Amino acid sequence: MSTTIIFPAQPEQILKGLSKLWTSLGEEEKQQGKPTVLRACAMTLIVATDEADAGFAASQTISELMHEHPARGIVLAVSKEAENDLQARVLAQCWKPFGKAQQICCEQIEITAKPGSWQNAAPTLAGLTAADLPVIFWCRHHGALKKDAIETDKAGLDAIAKLATKLIIDTSGMETAEGMDLLTKWQSEGKLVADLEWTRLTPWREPIAHIFDNPARENTIKAFHTLEIEHIEEKPPMQALYLAGWLSAPYKAKVQFRRAAGFGRGIQRVSFRSDAEAIEFERTSAECVTLWSTNGRERKYSFGEASVTALMTEELAVAGFDQAFTGALERARELAA
Amino acid sequence: MSVLVQPLTEPNPLQDSLRFARRVPPCAIVIFGASGDLSKRKLLPSLYRLFYERRISQNFAVIGSSRTPMSDEQFRERMKESVSKFLEDAPFDEDIWKSFAQCLFYVAGDLSEEDSYERLRTKLDAVEKSHQTAGNVLFYLSTQPSYYAEAIKKLGAHQLQKGNGWRRVIIEKPFGHDLESARLLNEEIHQVLDENDVYRIDHYLGKETVQNILAFRFGNGIFEPLWNRRYVDNVQITAAESIGVEGRGGYYQEAGALRDMIQNHLSQVMATVAMEPPTIFDAANVRDERAKLLRAVRVVKPDDVSKYAVAGQYGPANVGGQNLLGFRQEPSVTSDAQTDTYAAVTFFIDNWRWADVPFYIRTGKRMPKRVTDIAIQFNAPPLGLFSQETKGGLREARPNLLVLRIQPEEGISLRFLSKSPGSGMRVRPVSMDFNYGSSFGERTPTAYETLLVDAMAGDATLYTRQDMVDASWQIVQPILDVWGNSKFDFPNYAAGTWGPKASDEMLARQGHVWRVP
Repeated sequence: MSTTIIFPAQPEQILKGLSKLWTSLGEEEKQQGKPTVLRACAMTLIVATDEADAGFAASQTISELMHEHPARGIVLAVSKEAENDLQARVLAQCWKPFGKAQQICCEQIEITAKPGSWQNAAPTLAGLTAADLPVIFWCRHHGALKKDAIETDKAGLDAIAKLATKLIIDTSGMETAEGMDLLTKWQSEGKLVADLEWTRLTPWREPIAHIFDNPARENTIKAFHTLEIEHIEEKPPMQALYLAGWLSAPYKAKVQFRRAAGFGRGIQRVSFRSDAEAIEFERTSAECVTLWSTNGRERKYSFGEASVTALMTEELAVAGFDQAFTGALERARELAA
Repeated sequence: MSVLVQPLTEPNPLQDSLRFARRVPPCAIVIFGASGDLSKRKLLPSLYRLFYERRISQNFAVIGSSRTPMSDEQFRERMKESVSKFLEDAPFDEDIWKSFAQCLFYVAGDLSEEDSYERLRTKLDAVEKSHQTAGNVLFYLSTQPSYYAEAIKKLGAHQLQKGNGWRRVIIEKPFGHDLESARLLNEEIHQVLDENDVYRIDHYLGKETVQNILAFRFGNGIFEPLWNRRYVDNVQITAAESIGVEGRGGYYQEAGALRDMIQNHLSQVMATVAMEPPTIFDAANVRDERAKLLRAVRVVKPDDVSKYAVAGQYGPANVGGQNLLGFRQEPSVTSDAQTDTYAAVTFFIDNWRWADVPFYIRTGKRMPKRVTDIAIQFNAPPLGLFSQETKGGLREARPNLLVLRIQPEEGISLRFLSKSPGSGMRVRPVSMDFNYGSSFGERTPTAYETLLVDAMAGDATLYTRQDMVDASWQIVQPILDVWGNSKFDFPNYAAGTWGPKASDEMLARQGHVWRVP
């Protein structure tokens, strides 16, 4: 269910559109004589996309995210095709949990901006955030994230960033130094930041950390002095730098990167050595990571390329300061330098 | 909710509590009764799921034990069948199963035979080396209750209750069949184990929504001030099942609803709803408060049992075009069975907070629907400004009702009066709903997953302690005694209804009515 185009995209007009939308959903309830719709909202999620991101189905992704993180979703899309400088429409994303009679509905606002109007979007967004709830800004406007972005794009990004409690980007397609600089800058401004390239590492990091949970193990992490990471790409990708940063941060182990063939993209193998033991995690198929250890252990873990929805689902669940990420980022910068 | 009680010796610098599952130390789990229903339907699927989600240590092993002769490989095959069949809301992955299966072992043996324990010791020593389980062992008694005491005695006789690491024992319900047998069992257990190593499981306490009661009460500042006799008129706890005894007629005929549900699950739920806030959120403090509450429950005098407790048994009926059997017509049930398939009790808690507030608890089989909830009925406003608009009985006179829904639609709702649109001051009750599923769409762990992880981590918050079990038997024992010596005119409610008329009358005497969940 959605409304017609709202222009000019003023917050009052858009909020009126939302109000009408809920009234019409209420009418539906009245006809059925029982509650059929439940409204849910735990945050405002702003997703900004640019023309290079045209293939990305933002609305669809938001509707999938709603199942675990109900939010007022705002898609801010830059498009040359936009009829007006800034125009909006509102819609409801509804789903019916399995076996339940009631639909759960979240509000969504789609704002389309002409390329030159991106920097004017922030005042509209400021009037649209849900009261008293966190504002998460997921920036997929790659042009604005670049170091050499045009001034108006930079200004637009800064203005929206100011509204946000947490900023999420994906540095997988960026120059590593560029991504790290941006994240560090936002951190220094007191923002919570996240990088989906770091989120992709959880299936690697968790089993690695588990190895050192056993208090009876003879070789603690301190004993591992050499770390080797193999990756598909020519240069170490951001995720390899993060993993190296995270693993070597506590004891500053010696780190080596190496290019290797394998599955998908990114990290293929992680090995760390002490004088007495070697441990390897290797992507042995597209869906599996295998742990080998010189003390005879072998174990398989499920591993799939996480969808962007899965990555965002994990990231939206992290509400506070991410100490592990901050430490890894800091050390990754040292390693990259 | 979960608290790490025993910190590992050295903190692991790679841990990331924001994203990783809670740390669980290495251990071996020994399941006695491994070929039984509980193992197949709940325990192994829960352990596989925990393994799949990387929520248990890499250094872990399961040793199944039962009388059936089987090799490790045969046990793995059988468990594979069960896990793939009974896994709830989760995928079965062949590769992960292979890794999991390497952690499964089997020891055939009779719990009464000494040799079985020696074979178990040999196996435990082997997995301690091969799987680096650090000597930690969690024994799970999933056997018939009559074996509990003997199994624990023999664990002690073979020195299996101590070793290089910790040793803990999980005991399934029922914990005794009356106060005396529960006390005797406790005595026998304590000859071998410290109370701290005994984990009496009550899977109700592991349910997410029961744990949420504590979060709701003690994580918010606005409800506790109202949570007392000044504002609460009565509390109703309902655990209704639409099914009958489903082939368990023989067992159920001996147990009955009061023993099967109220003595354990529902009295613990009542304690969770009514307990005082703990000063620290840890196992000892939370359990102290639950036990204190149960000790404050007034023990009904034998002469008053008929006033404060009602037994019921369902008779045959046609529901939705289907002919349903009465309890006495169920297989393995005698035709003159005096079993309560329905029980309702009025409890009073004699403490400063709850004096004179009735807590009504009811549970039954073959009721109109499956529902478990807790309803806190608040007092009416002091002045009935809109009373002419709220005619029609007690419910409207006391508009504010807070319902904590445990299952199936987990959530919380608050009913209050609101003005109807239009001229004039017409009011009507409306409901404000929090739906657990809509706010947290992720899969919630099953009660057994939660409780197994807690036991491995040494967190007994959600397990019942000896004094809690003792107190909960004390409050139902006089009712059991009187009912045991009574001859009821059963059946007294038809399948598909909300129980016997006497139950409604019990509430009417206090000026209350059962709500319809």
